[in-house]
Amino acid sequence: MAAAAVYQLAQCITCHAWSPDHSMVALCPNNNEVHIYRSSQDKWERVHVLEKHDQIISGIDWSPRSNKIVTVSHDRNSYVWNKEASEWVPTLVILRLNRAALCVQWSPKENKFAVGSGAKTVCICYYEQENNWWVSKLIRKKHNSSVTSVAWHPNNILIATTSTDGKCRVFSTFIKGVDSRDSGTSLSGDLKFGEQVVQLDLSFSWAFGVKWSPSGNTLAYVGHNSTIYFVDDIGPSPSAQNVTFNDLPLHDVLFVSERMVIGVGFDCNPMVFTADERGIWSFFKFLDERKAATSSSKSGSQFSEAFGKLYGQSKPGISNDAVEPSRPRGGAHENCINCIVPLKKSGDRTVKRFSTSGLDGKVVIWELEN
Amino acid sequence: MAASEDASLEADHAQAIIARIEHKSRKIESLLKQYKPVEALKTALEGSPPNTKDERCKAANWIVVHRALMAIKDVDGMFSSLDPEYYDILMKYLYRGLATGDRPTCDQCLRIHEKLTERAGLGCILRSLADTVNTV
Repeated sequence: MAAAAVYQLAQCITCHAWSPDHSMVALCPNNNEVHIYRSSQDKWERVHVLEKHDQIISGIDWSPRSNKIVTVSHDRNSYVWNKEASEWVPTLVILRLNRAALCVQWSPKENKFAVGSGAKTVCICYYEQENNWWVSKLIRKKHNSSVTSVAWHPNNILIATTSTDGKCRVFSTFIKGVDSRDSGTSLSGDLKFGEQVVQLDLSFSWAFGVKWSPSGNTLAYVGHNSTIYFVDDIGPSPSAQNVTFNDLPLHDVLFVSERMVIGVGFDCNPMVFTADERGIWSFFKFLDERKAATSSSKSGSQFSEAFGKLYGQSKPGISNDAVEPSRPRGGAHENCINCIVPLKKSGDRTVKRFSTSGLDGKVVIWELEN
Repeated sequence: MAASEDASLEADHAQAIIARIEHKSRKIESLLKQYKPVEALKTALEGSPPNTKDERCKAANWIVVHRALMAIKDVDGMFSSLDPEYYDILMKYLYRGLATGDRPTCDQCLRIHEKLTERAGLGCILRSLADTVNTV
């Protein structure tokens, strides 16, 4: 399967998110702005530029029901953008961080959002009606290093995080007055805010990109050692599987169904992982077909290319020119993919379409055949 | 008090590991005499890296692995009978070999490295470089 559509929207994209009806995409072109593009007859028109942050924006999430955009940035702040008439109006959320914010996600009910940061903390933010103000509550002293990714469990209470200390952790984010006890499943029980459910100690190197399966029964995350981890039975006795693969590490993952995961990352080509009837996960195939032809002719020159790529990735904050595009390989993406977003209609059980963006500045839409 | 107990425990542990490596070494020598270099390499890689922080154990184990590595003549033949589960640990020892700077060792390690990368890909290299806990 090849990509359904490829759009070159910037020189480099740090993250992107779709409007509820998927007609607009918000992305950060590797600077302090969010650009919103609207598609009209296969052409993209820039309709809004959100300028408020001072530094690179590291995370964007667009809530599907309430139509709010949340952004976080290396400037340690977060804004919730609300559409009033034709303008996007920002509300500052004081996260109380002393390091960059790295990732953000709305909770399934959209009454909270979670921010991972370089300050070894996770901020859970919720709206306080009386004060007309977003409040940030911190989960402290649980992570030994930067929090690279956060993912909400469908029950709106549990949250999974990955960190550069190599661990994946699951926390309760129960907030009195925001959540009710009966909304949680037995899994979240009577946990207090910030209580750790489990710490998964599977990777010996940085962990990135964590996601829950649609039912919330399985957790997948990736390590910087070309390994993807699948964890079932989150709780006192989780069961884990490591799947190693032959190519460069992944950076982000997405469950398209209970038994299929797409991983994207430094190999510039999405990888498909599937589980068989017994629940054993394995690498299935590359999504972009061109890989099949090139993988058999691996040579020494690919080393320099790979290490050049890692080098470029290590300093994304300097300027667009600093990230040298690697040699085009004829695929949809020509550089590291760092973001994967489902394009799911409300009510769909599985994801049929999704989009990826990366350091090559492209947004690519993929369609899965059945 | 507790610290010294820990230290003596650690020393006992190291002694046990050294004894196991010596046993492994004898087994490898006998396998090499029977012209079974791949079996010798498998034996050397089994139980590696030793589960300890003691550098002496790691060095002792490296000597054993090195002995088996240098006995490999037919690299393609070796890979046809070496299971993929050994690839990651073999890669770590190849890098240890390259770090010695010894000419014949480096030549041998590079020859194997090329073939191993063809089979196990860049992922195998990354796994060996990224793991800072289970060093060989």
